[in-house]
Amino acid sequence: MCVTVSQNLVLVYTSTDRSVATLFAYVTRRVLISVPLLVIAMYLVHVGVSATVDPRSDFYLCLPRCQEGFDSITETYALDTNIFLRPFTYFASLFSGDGLGFSSSVGEPVGEVMRTRGWNTAMVAIPAFLLGAILSLLLSVYSARRQYSFGDYFFTSLSFIGFAMPSFVLALIIQVIFGVKLEEWFGIKPFNTGRKTGENFWELLRDITLPAVSLAILGIAADSRFGRSSMLETLNQDYIRTARAKGLTERTVVWKHALRNGLIPLVTLWALGFSALLSGSVVTESIFSWPGIGQTFLRALGDSDLDLLMAIVMFTGVLTVVFNLIADVLYGVLDPRIRLG
Amino acid sequence: MSDALLTVDHLNVGFATKAGIVQAATDITFEIYPGEVLAVVGESGSGKSVTALALMRLHPDNTIVTGDVRFEGRDLLNMSDREMRATRGNDIAMIFQDPMTAMNPVFAVGDQIVETIRVHDSSVSKQEAWTKSVDLLKLVGVPEPKQRASQYPHEYSGGMRQRAMIAMAIANDPKLLIADEPTTALDVTVQAQVMEVLNEVQAETGSAMMLITHDLGLVAGSADRVQVMYASRLMETGTIDQIFYESQNPYTMALLDSIPDLDGLKEQLEPIPGNPPSLLNPPSGCAFRPRCAFAADVCAAEVPVRVRVGDQHESRCARTHELETLVGVTS
Amino acid sequence: MATEFEIDSQTDEMLETTMELGIADVEGLSEKPKTFGQLARERFFGHKLAIVGGIGLILLVALFWLGPMLSEWEFDERNVADRLLGPSAEHWFGTDEIGRDLFVRTAKGGLYSMRIGLIAAVVATVTGTAFGALAGFFGGVWDGIVSNLVNLVLTVPAIIVLSVFANKFGASAIGLALVLAGLLWTRIARVVRGVVLSIKEQEYIMAARAAGASNSRIMFRHLLPNIVGAIAVEVTLLIGTVIVLESTLSFLGLGVKPPNASLGTLVADAKGDIDSDPIRVLTPGIFIILIVLCVNFLGDGLRDALDPRAKGSDSSEAKNAKKAAKKARKQLGKQGPGYIAGARTDRSSIGKI
Repeated sequence: MCVTVSQNLVLVYTSTDRSVATLFAYVTRRVLISVPLLVIAMYLVHVGVSATVDPRSDFYLCLPRCQEGFDSITETYALDTNIFLRPFTYFASLFSGDGLGFSSSVGEPVGEVMRTRGWNTAMVAIPAFLLGAILSLLLSVYSARRQYSFGDYFFTSLSFIGFAMPSFVLALIIQVIFGVKLEEWFGIKPFNTGRKTGENFWELLRDITLPAVSLAILGIAADSRFGRSSMLETLNQDYIRTARAKGLTERTVVWKHALRNGLIPLVTLWALGFSALLSGSVVTESIFSWPGIGQTFLRALGDSDLDLLMAIVMFTGVLTVVFNLIADVLYGVLDPRIRLG
Repeated sequence: MSDALLTVDHLNVGFATKAGIVQAATDITFEIYPGEVLAVVGESGSGKSVTALALMRLHPDNTIVTGDVRFEGRDLLNMSDREMRATRGNDIAMIFQDPMTAMNPVFAVGDQIVETIRVHDSSVSKQEAWTKSVDLLKLVGVPEPKQRASQYPHEYSGGMRQRAMIAMAIANDPKLLIADEPTTALDVTVQAQVMEVLNEVQAETGSAMMLITHDLGLVAGSADRVQVMYASRLMETGTIDQIFYESQNPYTMALLDSIPDLDGLKEQLEPIPGNPPSLLNPPSGCAFRPRCAFAADVCAAEVPVRVRVGDQHESRCARTHELETLVGVTS
Repeated sequence: MATEFEIDSQTDEMLETTMELGIADVEGLSEKPKTFGQLARERFFGHKLAIVGGIGLILLVALFWLGPMLSEWEFDERNVADRLLGPSAEHWFGTDEIGRDLFVRTAKGGLYSMRIGLIAAVVATVTGTAFGALAGFFGGVWDGIVSNLVNLVLTVPAIIVLSVFANKFGASAIGLALVLAGLLWTRIARVVRGVVLSIKEQEYIMAARAAGASNSRIMFRHLLPNIVGAIAVEVTLLIGTVIVLESTLSFLGLGVKPPNASLGTLVADAKGDIDSDPIRVLTPGIFIILIVLCVNFLGDGLRDALDPRAKGSDSSEAKNAKKAAKKARKQLGKQGPGYIAGARTDRSSIGKI
């Protein structure tokens, strides 16, 4: 199967130079559209966050006593400037090298916080993404080929439950079973459910397993439903019949011809779902006490830590636009009808 | 009989549905000889495509196929999957009706032809196969074959796509070509061109062809023998002259009456009254009876058997021997 | 002639066959075609899951509404002496850490969640329909703006964006509902836009225009009925999504705040004792799952009822055809040697690896 997958990739690129040139043109077009989108998004984010987060919230009660503290915060965050003009000062200072500000809740420069916590989140999110992609692909193909089989019904039921289950409930269940009960019943604790502990690779693996799995599962449920119907639709196409009529093995028909088409919408779903990982991280990091961006976000929100919050939400905005772009580009790469259209 | 390329004996194809089994092809018996063109004619739903798909074992799940089908003496229906795969695209090749949907949109046309070649002969290198596919595209009349081979199906016009499908089908010099309504999805002006290519290709390679169509005009230009199907059964088989000029079956006659004659010999077009019957609940006796101008009580009793009415000429009609007197001079 | 009849797989020939055969109504093989409404109702009630979902939902609502009336305890009644009790005849679900009866709190929390769900759904539907219709109908620049906005909002990390706004506005039910609707209207908009676009191109609209109908007339008489069908499904599913999101936000400490309670806050309250009393933590969560499951089943049934082909090969028709094939398989064998495509016992290469 790996051979056919790599065959597919080779097929994409070995056609002709012409094909690569049009791909380049297509990508450029999408990038150009994304830039204004990005700018607008960031502006809206800034105004939105400024409007809803007030770092002086604790101070209103103690006025006029704490007027000094009140004023200093007002100055630090330029809260006297018109809210619609503030984004410009923000980006001005950003590009002039003043950095992203200082986090009041963590006590470090925002850039530093983003870097360390961001890395922690990535440590969980990227394995979760890979796990999710592989499993949802396999599940999609399996369910489509074995439609109405017992396995198919089983997974369909599971995904129904998955759709109805909030991620925090799932995470709690996992924590109860693997964190508490496993020890109770069998006296073993294969995975850590506490903070990030280990420094060596295996400890780390034990640390990230539960949060990563918890992050991935619900995505698998949703993606595999989608992938299943996409594969089913693809398998019903005429060209699949033609492929069989040519004498290809069923394996080649499914893993080369069908998958190559059925994957297209699925892959774009993955690209778009990447930002959903960030959302999920807020919940899983909170439950598994994982020191990542998600947990930091919650703390910053509680403390009205404006600079950090701004940075985090900005970052998510950028990520969203970027991943939309990636999804678009992927679509063009995978489906020649789009890029040559 | 023994030198026939393909023998089909009492083939039945049924679809299992909620309401029961729909018999889409009933008691189909015929042969195809090497190098000849057999046209299978009938309205939509008569069972002609269903028969072809059964030969290639391409039917979807829950299709029930019984009967005896032999290709060069080998049992097609019961051979192993591997043997069947070796036969498809190699000894027997099929051209489908809608070339737009029949080709995979994400692979270049040339690559799809290369695939056909290499799956049946892995000793052929990619380079050689690519060269051959360009040659094949040239053979079927695709302009600028070298560039076109690298293009995708949606970049071809309808006629070109069907030519490419033909190229794909003949890539391994099949002994039998099954063309399922090859021109139905094309513009009228393009139809003639594609048929020309098909005929040329068939003549040059010497393969036999099973041409499935509802268009009697195509039949006239290409076929050696014709068989007419209606409501899942064979109504009449014969040589092209026998069918067109000496038909002994009311359905065939009605079909011929309903098509325009470019020579202007007909004064009136006679459409066949009524509708094709429900295959779920067919009428008793002959399926054509409700619409037949010659229907009699004997037609309702039971399904008529096929009767020999001439050398290579058979008709399924209870009154087939009376028809001459009933009609007078057949036109 | 109704042609809802569709066999498991779709080769053109087969579809043609069945259509040509004039099979009007396969159920009774009668010749009288049924109206769309009749067929839809038939399919809905034949959809077992939808019935289960509907009944389940009714039972849950009844439990949440009538339950507290039957109980002697109040929502906020504290008996610190009786704290952290397990389930008993007195306190059906036990008590929490300050002695409040958990059953009443769970029931009221459930109702609160449902209320937010409904309000949010209504607001999202109205907004989404308006924007979606605008984009689809007028196209051009409007479509560009709305579509890009919708795409962006749909892919933004929901919790992050919602958290920021819920923290400020989420204390009241309406506030929270509006925040949620502010994000979720895009789902409705996308569906409505799709429907409008596809119908706009259809010929009967052009015919109506040719006959002189005005824009608004076209919108109301032709588009609206089709939109309603498409949104009905989406709205139902939306309620489930809202409940999930709301409970997540409440769990995180945003959204619903004391003195109100929702199922999410109840889970958060119990979280500290997860080692000693995991059941108390999971029970509200289970209820969330049950509510949303029922709602989703209803939505699924609606989808099957209104457009059985929407799910492709998964419609109830296809499933029934599959069952019939199994039956037919048993009767077969008398016709002579051959095979059945796709069956386990055959020699066909179709359907196997």
